Formats: sequence, structure tokens, C-alpha cells
Amino acid sequence: MNDVLTEIEQEIRDNKVVLYMKGTPAFPMCGFSAAAVKLLREVGVPFKAIDVLAEPEKREAIKQYSNWPTIPQLYVGGKFVGGSDILREMHARGEFAPLVRQVAGVG
Amino acid sequence: MVSSDDIRRRIEAALPGAQVTVADSTGAGDHFEVCVRADAFVGRTLVEQHQLVYGALGTLMGRIHALALQTETPQEARG
Repeated sequence: MNDVLTEIEQEIRDNKVVLYMKGTPAFPMCGFSAAAVKLLREVGVPFKAIDVLAEPEKREAIKQYSNWPTIPQLYVGGKFVGGSDILREMHARGEFAPLVRQVAGVG
Repeated sequence: MVSSDDIRRRIEAALPGAQVTVADSTGAGDHFEVCVRADAFVGRTLVEQHQLVYGALGTLMGRIHALALQTETPQEARG
């Protein structure tokens, strides 16, 4: 488990925007993951996607890492931003795009 | 199978005074929509608010496929 947590830490450190999801951006395997991908594409920032279905050990480790029980999970600038509901709420408040663009250095 | 009442009771026990509404989206006991309004959320970020609710649900989360969660403080609800 420790090796996986170390790998997660590195992914989150090395990539400005990281989405842990079920499936891939091209073929999401869950509606909530699909919604997160759609939102990131609307904002227009590059992001690294990790498919937890392809890496089952990461599916449990990421929940432990963030103390968060569900997938998807978005990390921006090394910090956990939230899951599906929080992304939707931040988007509704107009807070999502500015945060992600600022950290990603886009727009 | 998890019931809406199971979810509501757990949240109310962990967050006294919270107003909790739970809808079983499909009627199958594995997809729920939950709204929670609680004083305990004041001064906390959205992530922290949701973590409080997930913490209250504990092991129930492992038996639910999807739970859409909305949290708010009493002040936000009035505003």
C-alpha cells in the first residue's frame, strides 16, 4: 500500500491537474467520472487522467490518501479539490474555471 | 440494501440538529441523493463539509454505488 501511496503523491506533485476516474476520458465507465471530464474539457486545461479500474490497488489507496470515499477525485496544484458534487457546485458558483486555469497557467 | 432512513439516521446522529433529506434515486437502495443543512458546516470548506457527512456514513458508503451530496449552512439556505 505504501508504494502505491508514494506513486500517487508523485503523480499529484508532477502534474498540475490530475483526475482519478473510472475509465478513460475517451471511455468513462461512470456518469460521475464522465461529468468531471466534460467539465475539465469545457475549462480547456490539459489534465492527467488515472483510470482506477485499470489500477485496482490505486482505487483503494486514493480514497485513503484524501480521506474521501468516492471516485472521481480531482487534484489541482497538488491539492485535493473535491469529487463530482463539489466540482459541480464550484462550477455553478463560477469558481471552478478560474481556479483550474490559474494553477494550470491557461487563459 | 441500504434504506434512505439508514442514511438519514446516521447523519442526524453525527450532526445533531442537521436537516437531512434523502432520496433513493432508483428505488433500488444503491443510488441516493442527499441534502444536508447543518450548523456544523459553518466555517468549513466544501471538502470538509462533505468529509463530515461521509464520515458519518462510515461503512454504509461501501454498500452504496452512488451518493450525490449537497451540503449547506443554515445561513446559505436563508440567503
